[in-house]
Amino acid sequence: MAAELLLRGLRDHRRALVGWCVGISAYIALVASIFPSIESSPEFNDLVENYPDILKSLFGLAEGGNITSGAGYLDVELFGLMLPLLVLVLSIASGARAFAGEEDAGRLELVLSYPIRRRNAVLAKGAAVAGEIGIVCTVAGLTILAFDPLVGLDLSLTKQVSAIASVAALGLLYGWLALAVGAAVPNRALAIGIPAGAAAAAYLVSGLHGLAGWLDPFRFLSPFWLVGSSPLQRGADSWGIVVVVVAGVIALLAGSLLVERRDLETP
Amino acid sequence: MAAPPAIETAGLSKTYGGKVHAVVDLDLRVERGEIFGYLGPNGAGKSTTIRLLLDLIRPTAGRACVLGLDTRVEGVSARKHVGYLPGDLRLADRLTGRAQLDSLARLRGHVDPALRDELCERLGVVLDRPIRQLSRGNRQKIGIVQAFMHHPELVVLDEPTAGLDPLLQNEMRALLRETAERGATVFLSSHSLDEVQHVADRVGVIRSGRLIDVDEVEGLRERSLRHVTITFDESVDPSDIGSLQGVRVVDVDGPVIRLSAPETTMDALVKLVARYSVVDLVSQPADLEEIFLELYREADDGR
Repeated sequence: MAAELLLRGLRDHRRALVGWCVGISAYIALVASIFPSIESSPEFNDLVENYPDILKSLFGLAEGGNITSGAGYLDVELFGLMLPLLVLVLSIASGARAFAGEEDAGRLELVLSYPIRRRNAVLAKGAAVAGEIGIVCTVAGLTILAFDPLVGLDLSLTKQVSAIASVAALGLLYGWLALAVGAAVPNRALAIGIPAGAAAAAYLVSGLHGLAGWLDPFRFLSPFWLVGSSPLQRGADSWGIVVVVVAGVIALLAGSLLVERRDLETP
Repeated sequence: MAAPPAIETAGLSKTYGGKVHAVVDLDLRVERGEIFGYLGPNGAGKSTTIRLLLDLIRPTAGRACVLGLDTRVEGVSARKHVGYLPGDLRLADRLTGRAQLDSLARLRGHVDPALRDELCERLGVVLDRPIRQLSRGNRQKIGIVQAFMHHPELVVLDEPTAGLDPLLQNEMRALLRETAERGATVFLSSHSLDEVQHVADRVGVIRSGRLIDVDEVEGLRERSLRHVTITFDESVDPSDIGSLQGVRVVDVDGPVIRLSAPETTMDALVKLVARYSVVDLVSQPADLEEIFLELYREADDGR
């Protein structure tokens, strides 16, 4: 029944998913293999210390952070921007494709003529999006784990798990938001644009709220701020992760209700 | 207690953006075991009606019941026993035909594998190639199989023979008749009277969103117009041909006469022109739009 939509969703994207996993692992491998030369050059810390505040703030260079430690290095090179960015691109693309993309291609016409409740179709597709995010984040985590002893990153396992969980939570929120927007309105551009714009704004608020005072009160609205920065050094905020995932669930549920109220479009 | 009708709509209307009236105040009743042809020119509202019946779009006014179940309230239960072939069929292009049918079978939850295999064999479905490599006709066959593979009580087909060769169109008609014989109902849309009249029991005609006529097929056949072009050996006075009931001479060009004639007058027409020396005679079915025009012309003449 509707579970078939979950399996189909994962199976249809398996090639792309393998590509994502290989790409992200390769990036992590590259970053990790550079670490020994960073570690042996303590002057990097002085260099970074002299960065303008705005850059330090954006890259998540924590106060008292140490870029020549394994955790501090990966926080900047991986968890500060690149890994969340890659996972969000995957999540938003997957969420937008799952409903808005399929509708655009005219493939929902037959599927929804079957005895499937639309909201269950949306939830099944939400599970497929979560599955993709789960797979990519697990592969990223395992790659980091594999390189840890090789290049002496010396990471704390709990902090690493929480760091990966914070990225996955952000992926779920924006991926489900993309799915929900596509379910609520028949417009793929909006299904990509709204979550992508929201994520970019939230990232800036989280990075710059300390510098631009007027942004400060809005930091609570930024999922990036909620899960916390420099997760490998400080650990991600567990409650923040919960809040972000709950927000994603609410978005998904809203999408699954709104989809019942509208007409299915033909291409 | 008699089973409720296969399809029943009351005042069913669909308006887009408050302006475009795709379906207007539709009252339609299709009985069980019937093959109902739903006929209209392109853009008349055929697909809109079908999509309302399947709850893919929601009515602006009125209601529709399928197999006795309100589409807005119990659409999921109703669709368990409905098979649907969309007019613009889009399948998962990367899958093979077999994988697509397997996936749809799991999605439906209950299908008859033996029936599916039999249908695939009968229609000659290409199962082992990716769907994106298949021709339109071969994709359509997969669509037909999925619409029938669960013994549906109602089959809704939107222009089903599009892309099928004549042999398969025959097979399709046979399939529809068998479906009706086992008590199931077929709702078949088409823009071609010729396609429908050989298989349907009754025909509903829709134009600009309004159901203008529901008739036994025999009744409609009288209105089924032919374009006839006759080439004679020499110039012929068209007046006695034009005097036949329902025949209208459209054009005279030396020995070539073009006329439109109802199918029912063909016998008389052929016998009449047989008195002359005929070089060639071509008869083609007029499209539905022209039949409507003829209908309206008759109505005007009668005033």
